[in-house]
Amino acid sequence: MEKNSGPLSPHIQIYKWQFSSLLSITHRLTGVINTAGFFLIVLWILFLAIGPEYYNFYQKFLRSFIGKFILVGFTWSFIYHLLNGVRHLAWDFGYGYEIKTANFSGIIVLSLSIITTFFIWII
Amino acid sequence: MKNHALNKWMIQRISAVILLPLLLFFLYSLINLVNQDYTGALDFFDNYLPIIIFTLFLIFAGLHFKLGLNEIIEDYVQDERFKSILNRVVTLYSAILPIIGIISLITIIL
Repeated sequence: MEKNSGPLSPHIQIYKWQFSSLLSITHRLTGVINTAGFFLIVLWILFLAIGPEYYNFYQKFLRSFIGKFILVGFTWSFIYHLLNGVRHLAWDFGYGYEIKTANFSGIIVLSLSIITTFFIWII
Repeated sequence: MKNHALNKWMIQRISAVILLPLLLFFLYSLINLVNQDYTGALDFFDNYLPIIIFTLFLIFAGLHFKLGLNEIIEDYVQDERFKSILNRVVTLYSAILPIIGIISLITIIL
């Protein structure tokens, strides 16, 4: 092993969890999940281009229980990342840094992402 | 080096802003399309607007998650050689997927 004196991000195994940091790591996590979701999106477009047999097979999978679970999960992940991304952009412009404000906007983002996902797929 | 990081930071934010409306449109169409059959989905793409928006979405999403994944790798991977391999995989993934998507879209409208 070579020596490395570069800075490291918090080691999540020994990190004291807080609401704000939980939302922050969730932002990264949903970002990675969205990257995987991107693969399914491209696959869907590809199958649509190839022909009806492939497309129908894919549609059938998406309508199965596992498929629906995946769709709902990715939807939430995308919406959360989008909403929390707006929060991050506000911070980049210097707004919302107060702990109270940041916690409040965090609660808004979390609830709104769940409510929106619920409205999209359940209703 | 410093400017390079700043550029990436800037591109990440700009692509985020561009992706906001694109993602909203994309989610909206996905919800409509999931209950459509093959011909219904083809009908949806029989219009330039969804084609243009999907193409932009593929390009900017690829760019956005490439930069995001690079940042995560930078934060959590110490070994330089492993880091550079991972970054190359990310570059490949974020380039190939949008290309496949765009070629597919072109095939659909032709």
